[in-house]
Amino acid sequence: MRQTFCVVAVGTLGLAHLAHAQTGRISGAVTTAEGARPVVGAQVIVAGTTTGSVTRDDGRYVITVQPGTYTVRVIRLGFSPDSLTGVVVTAGGETTANFSLQVSAAVLGNVVIVGYGTQEARNRTGVVASVDSSQFNTGRVVSPEQLITAKVAGVQVITDNEPGGGINIRIRGGTSVTSSSEPLFVLDGVPLPVGSGSNAALGAPQVKTGRNPLNFLNPADIANITVLKDASATAIYGSRGANGVVLITTKSGTQGTQLTYSASVSNSVVSREADLLDATQYRAAVSQYAPENLSKLGTANTDWRGEIQRSALGQDHLLAFAGGRDDLHYRLSLGYSDQNGVIEDTKVQRTSVALSYGDQLLDKRLDVSANLKGSRTNDRFTPTGVLGAATAFAPTQPIRTASGDYFQWSDQLGANNPLSDLELIHDDGRLDRSVGNIESKYTVPWVAGLTATVRAGYDYARAVRSNFTPSTAQGQVETNGGGSFSRNTPAMTNTLLELFGNYNRRLEGLQSDLDITGGYTYEQSDYDSTRVLATGLSTDLLGENGIPGAESQQTFYDSQESRLVSFFGRANWTLKDKYLFTGSVRRDGSSRFGADNQWGVFPAAAFAWRVIEEPFMKDVGWLNDLKLRISWGLNGNQEFANYLAYSTYTSSTSLAQVQFGNEFVTTLRPSAVDANIKWEETASTNFGIDMGFLSGRLTGSIDYYLKNTNDLIFNVPVAAGTNLSNFVTTNIGDMENRGIELALNGRVIEGANGAFTWDASINAAHNKNKLTRINAGSTGGEQVLVGAIDGGVGSNIEVLKPGSPINSFLVYRHKLGANGKPLYEDTNGDNNINEKDLYVDINGDGNINQDDRQPFESPAPDWIFGASSQMTWRSFDASFTARAYLGNYVYNNIASNLGHYSAVRGAAPGNLDASVLSYGFVNPQYFSDVYVEDGSFLRLDNITVGYRVPKVRGLSQIRIYGTVQNVFTVTGYSGIDPTAGVNGIDRNIYPQARTFTTGFTVGF
Amino acid sequence: MSPVSGTQSLAALAATVSHDQPMKFERLMFPTARRTLFVSALLVAATVACTDLSVAPKSTLTDANAFNEPGSYKAYIAKIYGGLQVSGQEGPAGRPDIQGIDEGFGGYIRLIWQMQELPTEETAIAWNDAGVQELNTQLWGSNNQFLVAMYGRVYFQVGLVNEFLRQTTDALLASRGVTGDLLADVKRYRAEARFLRALSYWHGIDLFGDLPLVTEEFALGLTPPKQSTRTEIFQYIVSELTAIRNDLPAPRAGGYGRADQGAVAMLLAKVYLNAQVYSGTARYADARTEIEKVIAGSYTLDPSYAHLFLADNHTSPELVFSIPYDGAKTQSYGGTTFLTHAAVGGSMDAKNFGLDGGWYGLRARPEFVALFPSTSGAPDRRSGALWTDGQTVAMTNLTDFSKGLPAPKFRNVTSTGAPGSSGGFADVDFPMFRLGDAYLMYAEAVVRGGGGSRATALGYINALRARAYGGAGGNITDAQMTLDFLRDERARELYWEGHRRTDLIRFDRFTTNGVWAWKGNVAAGKTTEAFRNLYPLPATELSSNPNLKQNAGY
Repeated sequence: MRQTFCVVAVGTLGLAHLAHAQTGRISGAVTTAEGARPVVGAQVIVAGTTTGSVTRDDGRYVITVQPGTYTVRVIRLGFSPDSLTGVVVTAGGETTANFSLQVSAAVLGNVVIVGYGTQEARNRTGVVASVDSSQFNTGRVVSPEQLITAKVAGVQVITDNEPGGGINIRIRGGTSVTSSSEPLFVLDGVPLPVGSGSNAALGAPQVKTGRNPLNFLNPADIANITVLKDASATAIYGSRGANGVVLITTKSGTQGTQLTYSASVSNSVVSREADLLDATQYRAAVSQYAPENLSKLGTANTDWRGEIQRSALGQDHLLAFAGGRDDLHYRLSLGYSDQNGVIEDTKVQRTSVALSYGDQLLDKRLDVSANLKGSRTNDRFTPTGVLGAATAFAPTQPIRTASGDYFQWSDQLGANNPLSDLELIHDDGRLDRSVGNIESKYTVPWVAGLTATVRAGYDYARAVRSNFTPSTAQGQVETNGGGSFSRNTPAMTNTLLELFGNYNRRLEGLQSDLDITGGYTYEQSDYDSTRVLATGLSTDLLGENGIPGAESQQTFYDSQESRLVSFFGRANWTLKDKYLFTGSVRRDGSSRFGADNQWGVFPAAAFAWRVIEEPFMKDVGWLNDLKLRISWGLNGNQEFANYLAYSTYTSSTSLAQVQFGNEFVTTLRPSAVDANIKWEETASTNFGIDMGFLSGRLTGSIDYYLKNTNDLIFNVPVAAGTNLSNFVTTNIGDMENRGIELALNGRVIEGANGAFTWDASINAAHNKNKLTRINAGSTGGEQVLVGAIDGGVGSNIEVLKPGSPINSFLVYRHKLGANGKPLYEDTNGDNNINEKDLYVDINGDGNINQDDRQPFESPAPDWIFGASSQMTWRSFDASFTARAYLGNYVYNNIASNLGHYSAVRGAAPGNLDASVLSYGFVNPQYFSDVYVEDGSFLRLDNITVGYRVPKVRGLSQIRIYGTVQNVFTVTGYSGIDPTAGVNGIDRNIYPQARTFTTGFTVGF
Repeated sequence: MSPVSGTQSLAALAATVSHDQPMKFERLMFPTARRTLFVSALLVAATVACTDLSVAPKSTLTDANAFNEPGSYKAYIAKIYGGLQVSGQEGPAGRPDIQGIDEGFGGYIRLIWQMQELPTEETAIAWNDAGVQELNTQLWGSNNQFLVAMYGRVYFQVGLVNEFLRQTTDALLASRGVTGDLLADVKRYRAEARFLRALSYWHGIDLFGDLPLVTEEFALGLTPPKQSTRTEIFQYIVSELTAIRNDLPAPRAGGYGRADQGAVAMLLAKVYLNAQVYSGTARYADARTEIEKVIAGSYTLDPSYAHLFLADNHTSPELVFSIPYDGAKTQSYGGTTFLTHAAVGGSMDAKNFGLDGGWYGLRARPEFVALFPSTSGAPDRRSGALWTDGQTVAMTNLTDFSKGLPAPKFRNVTSTGAPGSSGGFADVDFPMFRLGDAYLMYAEAVVRGGGGSRATALGYINALRARAYGGAGGNITDAQMTLDFLRDERARELYWEGHRRTDLIRFDRFTTNGVWAWKGNVAAGKTTEAFRNLYPLPATELSSNPNLKQNAGY
């Protein structure tokens, strides 16, 4: 009842005012100084107000304001800002203000979007990077994050190579281990729950099919992606800002009417493969090490990995209808994308609709805007195990036997024929998701510069993931399973209500500009999920469409809710246009926190000094911009599971009953709990310098940051006897990230009137992560193993250990022979080659055991470099994006799992990794540092060439282009991909692909 | 900011609206302003209303309400038993009880079995999983995942029991209106829970020595407990078992798989028999007294030795306390599912063992094989499980399954030869305590000077021998009934049942004496240092609990 009441009360706000003073308008055109061509997308701002507009395709704009005298500023990427003072607006009148812009160096975003508002880049105090749609990566891009790969210093985008597959983003290194290290994504003001913890059981619930949850959003609908990096910028998001914030703004309509159609087709091919033995080498290995198995080898010569690959076609279409008149603008887009993966049965298909609408009502005092997005994503997944089976299957075995059936091992330990599994097993997902918001911003009539905004948003998602394994699939045949069917249908509804006011005022007497924002938000999330699991199907005929009767049928149902209530405020004070102060605070109350910690406060403060404005800088001609920045702030992370503060009693399933006398009893088990669990807290400090040289042709910035995370939520071993299991999830860890970021943008060659121009930008980021504490005591013995690998059961290769970066590899140091290769011989003369011969006794106790495994390197790169260039010449344009990592280490799990001759023994001999030819290992050496390889690389991610067809009758524009993605990779790494996922484990990862795309855009 | 001051800031905003420009406010906007004030007031009220964060779990029970239903008591005590059977709440795997190890590796019986058997002559495992070879060779360190998990398993049981005892105090039961039959049931459940806690503490001190003694008096929380001595916990186990004995039913009267007075007597006999090791003072007479109580129970030797380890072994009259498994309803990758699968491989046809496949793991070492007169089951039938086809007796390689003889005596088939209910999961119950063991313990207590009758002891031994030899052909004389004989006979009778390490330590043959293949990680074997009679406390536990002192040598 109370909730209903509050929604009604707030909803009334926007309608409260009916009478208004009349307004006037400022309109005009923005053109280039040279050639007088229209400048599209320039921001036109009425200084001292929050009112502004963006120029349309014809370079024109209209702004409605209160009568008065104003200064109007224009800002556009690639041009020097311009302004016009003394623009007089009368009630009901229209004043013209035209601008003619000079070309300047490319600067990322002159007006930047920040949390709950915008800010002029020159006045910003925090670290904010904005990437405009014109700078986005092109080609086959399924997920929005890929748009900004390598574009922003300190932002690491990690993909898993599968189209639309999982993507991780790390901004300045992760701040968490157990809960999420993903940034907060905010889509047109609506926070999206996409973060996921490393431990699925501890992560916040989310609805996805298995691929990237952001796939629902069509990248072609995005106008801008802005990354908030330091605490001064993110603290306004309080308990969710610790990992940075990514603000996604979608496209909206401009004046006039435009119909645009874009289409592209693409083709991907595998660009790098695992190095396995061929049939001849394999036969030789079996003859030498397992002659008893020679009779089991076939006579074929099968390239199993090749057999499951394909040349993967893709297509992408977008039809957008956009326009506006007077105060109204709208945009409607329809998108369709269908992308195949390079492994058979991988596919992602999306149909999307986006609607954006904006209008000014009540004598232009009320800005109403709405954004609605809906999409359906259909996923098809390569059945689990196919990739691994194709890697491990012996190359001498045929695909089919003489009888025409698939060849299969009769023994359970043998891999299943991957082509049989591909044909028989179906694994599909579908995600329906819609995100929308309605926002009304009211300009309060009697206080100049005061606006009030009400924003209501929702995020609805429903996923279906179904897996059908018929009784004829080999895995079922071997276990006499009779076929299985599972279907998981999670659904989530998030609702958001925000109300905030903004007061923006020039205080002439104090030579100050003041910008104050304050507000309240209420978010409610409801989640439920139903999972059905049936085994022993009575027939295979129904396939994925039903359960025909089953020996065992289990249903799981779960319902959860969470709530987040916040108050926030921020003040920006600009003194004499050169001293800039920002302070912000957010107070968050979350239902996820324990009873004694329901509310947390997250403050931040920043100061910047525009040194260039000082009189003593007047004579420094070579420098045209210099700004020093310092910021500090506290952020939180609450992306962990609901209800962690409660000891929950879990019932056993029908397969885990307990015999109790003559009956079987469903049991009840309490969980370990820390009732006082709370947010993780990160304190960040940032020092930065912004510089401009050569009249702005070259701009750059340097930032140094230090992030200390405390109260890290950890699932750690707990003192025995003190809780209800051996691990408890509690706030116990500390972690540190420190780093440097450099960015340099230059207009290398400036040409006018179609002559050659070249804009280039490079960025570099160094981050050093260190876990400093994970337990109450510190004997040095505390460690938590993570990073599951293939090889053995339950084997982990990484460790969380204080003093080392998170996910450091925990390995033995392999002794090297005279030839520099890892030793594999009997050095101690006991007629046996074992760990005593091969590994260094690190702790010197005379034995080699698990205590001799020590942290060694980590998957996180020391340095990440990005470089982009954009070139134009007459009607041609070209661009490229390149990326390099230094010091990222990768565990080559294919080599460690298959790089030993004992794999050809046993009932079902499998293939070997080619490293065995060099190392000669007979027994597996899963935990040797030999397999931890330097993954440093240089990759040309993207190269695009486009041609703008000169004016065609009836069409406003035609552009055709071609893109190649993943053009080449230079690396010393021996496995499939040196960017092997966020955890640096090359464990049957999806192969890298090179993608060729060609497409066109037509405007009507 | 408190929530109130948070709303105050909005109120202040509203106040700014009202007072900043009073002129305009009065002249132009009076009606609107009134409305604005009204709306602002509503707003303030709304934000106060919308700060409610109480959201409780909906789809799961919590400690606040779980015991509001009578059935929960049985479900909870069943889980304490279940802690010995399954690895988590979703069979065969899922929602594990403990973490830090693969769930399939983390079952109680599998863990304690590996720690009791792998470092001895009875077996070695061929796998390369992290830490498993260290158990084969006795060269474990304090990060070994198996010993860390076993330690966790002991305290998982202790924690469950303590919480149950806290949740079932007289006061709480009365407040929930528990009376009558349910009250009587709960009283018995409490005694069973205390038995299970004593059992785990016995495993704990046997493996690890000095440990924290945590009882229901210790409140849940993050305060680390103090370390008690092995002797103190030994005494606690004795006092607990003595205290609960009469709250439990007579032997074999309590329902299958549940603790009764027979189980209590057997556990007391076990701790007394090893009292010299645990407390430095021998208690052989007490051990004998307790064994006599076991033997006086209505147990009889199973006529078929093999039947004790088959899918229908729950019908055996010999079992004193067993851990039940069911291929359809009680599934996990530990327990007898592990024991049946891991011993199968090579030339064996898994189907004959009621299995969907072999795991190529466990073989006996040659020193164990040599305890039998032959490897073929003749004349001592107990060696009949040894599999020779395609195998060598010599164990020249630890990780090659074909080296050493597998002894798959646990088989997932019934005594009529029918396969168990599932090829993937065994129906075989784990015979933790059985009469045959009690016979051997009686003889040992007598021979070690614990009183009783040598003639009776010899009768018990020869009863076992007669079963093994199918007649009196293997009977021994009183003179042959020496400690050395009993040590070897315990291996022959009880091999692969999880007793060997404790036995060898009692006979002082585990470390500084006794040599078998690969002991100390050399092919011929060598003696190891005495400190390895105890496992180390887990390194992580020492960090979590600063009160603990590591065992000497580690």
